[in-house]
Parts: sequence; structure tokens; C-alpha cells
Amino acid sequence: MSRWEYFVKRLLLTVPVLFSVLTFLFIMLRTGPIDPVAARLGPQAGAADRAQLRERLGLNDPLWEQYVDFITDFITFNFGQSWVVQAERDILDIAVGAAPATLWLGFWAILLPLFIGIPLGFYAGLNPNTLGDYAASLGGIIWQALPNFWLCVIALAVLRRTREGGELLGINWYTLGPDFAARDISITGTPRLEWFSTTDILMFPVPYISDWTALAIDIKLILPPALILGSASMAAELRIGRTAMLETVNSKFVETAKAKGLSSRVIVWKHIFRNALIPLLPVITSEAFLLIGGSVIVEQIFNINGLGRIFFQALTQGDLPMAGALLFLFTVIILGLNILQDFLYTVIDPRVGYNQ
Amino acid sequence: MSTRQRDSTDEFEEPDDDTLSRDRIRENPRPAMVWLGGLAVLLLLEIGRVFAGVGQLFGIVGFTVELLASVPTSVGGNVGGTLGSAAGFVATAITAILMAFAITVPVAGSVPDGAVDVLGLDLSRRGHRWAKRAELTFVLVALAGLIAYTPFGGVFSALIGAITGGVDALASSLPAITSRDLIPNTGHRLPEGGWEGTFLGLSPAVAWAIRTGLVFAYATAFLAWMWRGFDVYRTHYRLADWTPRDDTVRRFRNNYWGLFGFAIVFVFVVLALWAPAVSPVEAQHNIYEPNAHEFEYLSDDGEVTSTTHVFANLQSRSDGQNTIGPMSYDDYGRWAPLGTTNRGQDMMTHLSHGARTSLVIGVTAIGLGALIAVVLSLLSSYYKGITDIATVMASDTIQAVPALLLIMLVSVVFQEADHPIAQPLDGGLLLALIFAFAYWPGMWRSIRGPSLQVSEQEWVDAAKSYGQTPLQTMRKHMAPYIAGYILIYGSLLIGGVIISTAALTFLGLGINPPTPEWGRLIDGGQSYVSTDSWHVATIPGVAIVLVVIAFNALGDAIRDAIDPEADVDESEAAATGGGA
Repeated sequence: MSRWEYFVKRLLLTVPVLFSVLTFLFIMLRTGPIDPVAARLGPQAGAADRAQLRERLGLNDPLWEQYVDFITDFITFNFGQSWVVQAERDILDIAVGAAPATLWLGFWAILLPLFIGIPLGFYAGLNPNTLGDYAASLGGIIWQALPNFWLCVIALAVLRRTREGGELLGINWYTLGPDFAARDISITGTPRLEWFSTTDILMFPVPYISDWTALAIDIKLILPPALILGSASMAAELRIGRTAMLETVNSKFVETAKAKGLSSRVIVWKHIFRNALIPLLPVITSEAFLLIGGSVIVEQIFNINGLGRIFFQALTQGDLPMAGALLFLFTVIILGLNILQDFLYTVIDPRVGYNQ
Repeated sequence: MSTRQRDSTDEFEEPDDDTLSRDRIRENPRPAMVWLGGLAVLLLLEIGRVFAGVGQLFGIVGFTVELLASVPTSVGGNVGGTLGSAAGFVATAITAILMAFAITVPVAGSVPDGAVDVLGLDLSRRGHRWAKRAELTFVLVALAGLIAYTPFGGVFSALIGAITGGVDALASSLPAITSRDLIPNTGHRLPEGGWEGTFLGLSPAVAWAIRTGLVFAYATAFLAWMWRGFDVYRTHYRLADWTPRDDTVRRFRNNYWGLFGFAIVFVFVVLALWAPAVSPVEAQHNIYEPNAHEFEYLSDDGEVTSTTHVFANLQSRSDGQNTIGPMSYDDYGRWAPLGTTNRGQDMMTHLSHGARTSLVIGVTAIGLGALIAVVLSLLSSYYKGITDIATVMASDTIQAVPALLLIMLVSVVFQEADHPIAQPLDGGLLLALIFAFAYWPGMWRSIRGPSLQVSEQEWVDAAKSYGQTPLQTMRKHMAPYIAGYILIYGSLLIGGVIISTAALTFLGLGINPPTPEWGRLIDGGQSYVSTDSWHVATIPGVAIVLVVIAFNALGDAIRDAIDPEADVDESEAAATGGGA
């Protein structure tokens, strides 16, 4: 099987997967143990109200008709309105409104581990069995086992404490960089993301950064949660980066390069570094799973009004259709990322797919 | 070897290993007897707890059976609701028959063939097998019908009730060396100094330390005796002088990182199993029903007075303003080795019972998930084709949804509806089932490669042509090669389950009070981290980190021990709990 055939096969397989996810959601939300009418109206509602809502939600239709309606609505992103969380607002609107904060968080949560985890892993792999290697590896093991929610609690406590004089390494988090204390803003909260404007260059709107202070505030706001959200991936990148580096260093072509008389700097950067990146690709793309799952916890604790927090609110306030819709959106994102990963792999590493 | 091979009457059955080692024990019974005698002494020392454990096991089995028994009627009820009662009855019957059949398939092999010969039919071997299953199904369904629809059922349940009642009575009356009755640590100060009601009049702290020390000493002795049992078996009763497993054990024993992990896991398991013994106050008094239980203490004006736990708890909260820190007494003379929680409960009691909750959930979830993964991987690699594609589809579907969010949604749906399955452990069982549902695809995917490889081996072909049934081929010739892999992934994933459970409870979506859970402790203490009551959120957090590191280390060590060359993909099994 050629690699492109393999890619197309994977692509086609996502269609039935999407449908079975929808079917699962339908079973959970409509025919599951919970009655949608009771969930919406509460136990005290009168029989007339119940009957009316039952009719309005289409629960009196035959099951197959409900199923077809459900699938068509979800496929066309017509999720209807939120019940409780932001009542009567379109669910898609709410999601679009909350997405930028989550994207901003996710961007930094991917970027930070990339620039900390991979260099550390490569360093450990280049200097195996040294003190630095042990320190990096042990740090990675502990970092991976730290629960995000506990890290959030501890980090917030430490950062808050820096304000009352209990400074950490002489740093007061509130006055470091953009001064939060003087502006009277909390160190938790939703980034406003209003630091860019657009200007027209040759009729096209091009964004540029108009307010550097606002950008700095947003970055400072997002750094601690992003670092915590990326912690697990950072540890994974460190471990796998180390293994990949070790394997590449000991491979034949590096020996050849040495025999050719290349300088060790050229060997490391040109031959080792690029090849060691290949096994890291799935780690980086699979971070999306961790980010989406973890965003619920981190956003909830750091008061960021992103997708994860809205999902959590929908669940705790009994807004199940909205929770289902958001879960479907997350699934679509993940399926898209999977396809992207397969595509990148097909382009970068021709070995994939041959022996499947 | 050749002398040991016996002429088997059944050409399709391999000589049974059990009878062989039984013969060897008969030839040289002394070492086995010594070991069994030691084991009996160890068990007798803790006989009360052994029976308590048996009683709990009965409870679990009873609950499972009841739950399974309610499936046919609930399916019938659902169908009957839409299609009429006749269809409902048919659906009930069909579900019951299908379930009975599913139970018979794995056990039919061990039923003597004579059961089918009675029918006097001339059957092919395959027909013979199916006839046996059908017969067993019929017997099962008839029995179930007898119990469900005739007075015989009443007698049956009375019998079960008598047995469980007897076990419970034994559990509470038999002694144990680690019981609270033998070494009590709850008492009150006397006005003239000293303590009343504690072990030998020692202070509660010392009495508690003695009891906890005894628990760990006993558990270590038990572990050492088990190891000795393996040694005895190896030197006296095993056929071969050497097996690959010896190398596995040797590699594991020389892996210090793995031994560190094993030690922490051991402490965690002991904490969970002996939770009632290592907790300074009884959980029933302090956490579950604090207003129904009174205790005595020496009040400030020098009199011994009595109060309820709920009142005393209110006064000994660690909530920033006042703190009962680790290694201290509260104002009521109750010893708190790890301090109190933000609601005034004893932290050590909460922590050890929380360990129990985590362990039960982790083991149930991973055990069930691994079972599903192994069965499906055997089926899909043996039959290939449509079975394989269907499994790929199912696992792709579950893996496409972010696991933590899926678990949250399903858990909320069942808990909102107050489904009976959400009752045990205040949602703990429900969580374990959802984890199993969400995690089996990962495990299946990681053992898929090895099981496909095994299914291509020549010995599997040989077994097929030799006339072994598919079930036997899978069980005897394929499963042993996959067991190692599933062990590795299981121990790597269990840390993820523990983190996720704590995270969900922290968010208020997992296990509801009063069942103790570590995540709720962190939730309760999160506002006080930078105050004097720092210990409330810190101690359970450190405990989670240690346990998860330990399980990861154990998994890594098992992997290295089983096959140092094994190419196990780490990214698949990264025990991070889906970002929790």
C-alpha cells in the first residue's frame, strides 16, 4: 500500500467515526437515563408545560425521525440555543465567543513545552548518564506525575503570596512586567485579546500589534495556566526527545558523518537534530487531546472564560444539549488534527503505512 | 520430561499442569506443609479482617449479580414502553437467554462431555460444542426463571442472606491483631493526668503508632511469606529448573527505580486495605455519621464530658483561622497525625479511606478495561476481517472524543438521572465503569500489534489443525504472550485513573461526599495553601504525586523486566490522565 493510499484510507475512516460519535451522543442525551424535559423544567413543572416542551423538542416523533433530525442539526452546526448557561443565546455564538481565549491558552501551552521540553530532552540525550541527564529525567518524571489541578492551586497560592511581601526569589508577580497591582487587575481572568488592529495593505486587512502593553498583560495572564496545561506534554517531549536523540546519535549515518570528518556542530544540528524530531511529531499533535481535556480544569481554576469553562458550566448547570454540542465540536477539532498529523507524517516520514 | 507425560484420554486436551504439581507435592509434602502452616498462622492472626474482606466480596458479588439480573427486565421495560407489553416480554426473554449464553461460552469447556451424550444425538465435534452450550444455557435460564418466578426464589435469597449474615457476624466477633479493640487509641485524658480507654493507658499518639506499625509489620511479613512461597514452589515443585520468568524476576529485583515504585505502591495498598486500622478515628464516627456518635473528652474545667463528633469537628477545622496541623491533638484530645481537614475531619482517616476509594476505582477500571482489550484483541487477531474492522471503528470513535470530557459528560448524565449504578461509593463504581469504557481502546491499540504477531505464528496454525477450539487456541496459545504487555500498560494507566478521579472530584463531578476522596481534600484546602492550614491541600497532593510516580516506575520496571528489548510506545500509555 502506498503512503497516499494509506492516507486516503485514514481520511475515509473518519466519516463513519464521526457518525458513530453522533450516535453515541444521541443515545446519551436523548434515550439515556436522563429525561430531557425534566432536565430542563425541573421537578416542579406542571404537566401542561411538560407536554408543550415535549412537543417543541420533538420528543413525540418516532425515534428514527428524532435521530435523523439530531444528526442533520449537528452536521450543519445548527445546535440550537443554550438553555441555562447563557439562556436563549445560540450555542454556536457562545462557542465562537469563547474560542479565542482557549486558542490563546492552547497556543502558549504548546509553545512553552516545545521550547523547554525538547531542548532539555535533547540535552539529556546528548549527554547521557551525566548529572544533567539525571536531573532532567527525574524532573520530567515528577513533572509528568503532578496533577494539573493541584499545580494550579499551588501556583495560584504562591503567586498570590508574592504580593504580601512573601516574595519568591525576590520576584513580586504583581509588579513584574506590566504592573497588575497598579492597574488593579486580578492575576486570573480572561485575556481580553484587544492588542491588535488591522490595517489595509493593498485592500487586504492585515493585523498588526497596536497595543504592546495589552499584549504583555495578556501574555502575563496566560503564562502560569499555559505552563501548567503544557506540563504533561513537556515531560512527554523530554522523555521521547531524549530517547530519539540517543537512538539517532548511535545510528550508522552519524558514524559515517563522523568518519567524513564533519565538525560535531554540523553533525548535531544538520544530521541528528532533524532526524530526532520525527518521533516527536505525534507527541506534539496529540497534545491537542491533553489541551482540550485539561483546559476544563485550568480555565475553571484560573477563571478564564474559554470553551473548557463553558463546557464545565453547561455540565454543572444541567445544560446538557450545550455540553453535547461542545463535545461534538471538540471531536471535530480532534479528528481534523488527526488528519493533519497523518498528512504531515505522510509528507515527512515515508516509512509510515508500508507495513500496516 | 518423558516420564511425566501421560496418556491423555482426551486427545484435544493437554496434560493438566495442576495434577502434575499435585503429584510432586504428594511425593515431597514437607516444604509445602511448612509454608501452608505459616500462611495459616498469618491468616489466623488477622482472621477478623479476613472474614470482613470475604463479607465485602460477597456484597460486591451480590450487587453485580443483582445488577445483571435486572438487565433483562429493564430492557424489556424499555421495549415494552414503545412497542407494547408482549414485545417487552419477548425482549426480556431474549436478553435473558443471550446473557445466559454469553456466560456459558467460557465455562462450557470444563463441563464433562457426558452431559451431551445423554441426548443421544449423533453430532460433529462442532455440533457437539454448540449442543453443550445450548444445554447449559437452558439449565441456566431454567434456574434463573425458577428463582425469579417461583417461591423457590424466596428460599434461595433467604439462604444467601443467612450466609452473608453469618460471615458478617463472624467478621465482627472474631479477633484480629490490628483491630481497634485490641489496641484502642481513642480515649480521654484524666483530670489527674494520663489517659483512660487507650491501649495500656498510653497516649493516643503512641497507641496509634503501635497499631500502624503493627499493620505495616504484618503486611511486610505477609509479603515476605508470599515470596517464600514462590521460592518453595520454584525449588521443590516446579518441573523445570529454569524458566524465562526467573529472569524476569531477577531483572525486576535488580531495578532499584522499580523497587522504589513497588515500595510506594505497597504502602498505598496497605493503607487502602487496612484503612480502618491505620485511621486514628473510625471513619463511620468521624466522616460518615458524625452526629450519631458520641465520645468523651476532658473539658477545660477539668471534667470528663461527652460530645458528638459533628460538634467537635466544627471546632477543630483547619480553615486558615484555626489550624490543627500534622502531629497534634485537637481540643478534644483526638490525635490527628496528619492534622484535620477544612471540615474538621481527621486527615489520616480521610486519606486512608480515600486511598481505598482510589484503589477500588483504579483496579476496577483497569481490570475491566484490560479484560475488554484482551478479549477484543484476541478475537480481532484470530478472526480478522469484519471483527477487526468493527473493533477499529469502535475504538476510533471512543478515542476521537477527548477522554476527560467524555467521562465528565457520561458521569453527569448518569448522576443527574440518579441511576442505581451511581449509588455504590457515591458514584465511584460509575466512574470506574466509565474509565473502563474510555480507556480500553488505548490498551487494545497498544496490544494489537503483539496479538496480530502471535496470531501469525506457526504454533497457532498447529493448534488449529490439531483440532483445538478457537477459544482454547486463544486462551492457551495466544493470551499468555499478550499478558505481559497488558500488565505494563495497566500499571502505567492506573496512575492516570487516580489523577483523573481526583481531578473530577476536585471539580465536584466525580465522587460525592461522604465517600472520602483525595481530590475533595485538595478542593477543600485550596484557599488555605498560603495560610497556617497549608497541610490540607498539600498532603493529599503530595500523596497523589508519589503514588502516580510509583505506578509509572513500576510499569517501566515491569516492561524492562519482561522484555528489555521490548519496543513499547511510550506516548500511547503516557499516564497523564488526559490532561487532568
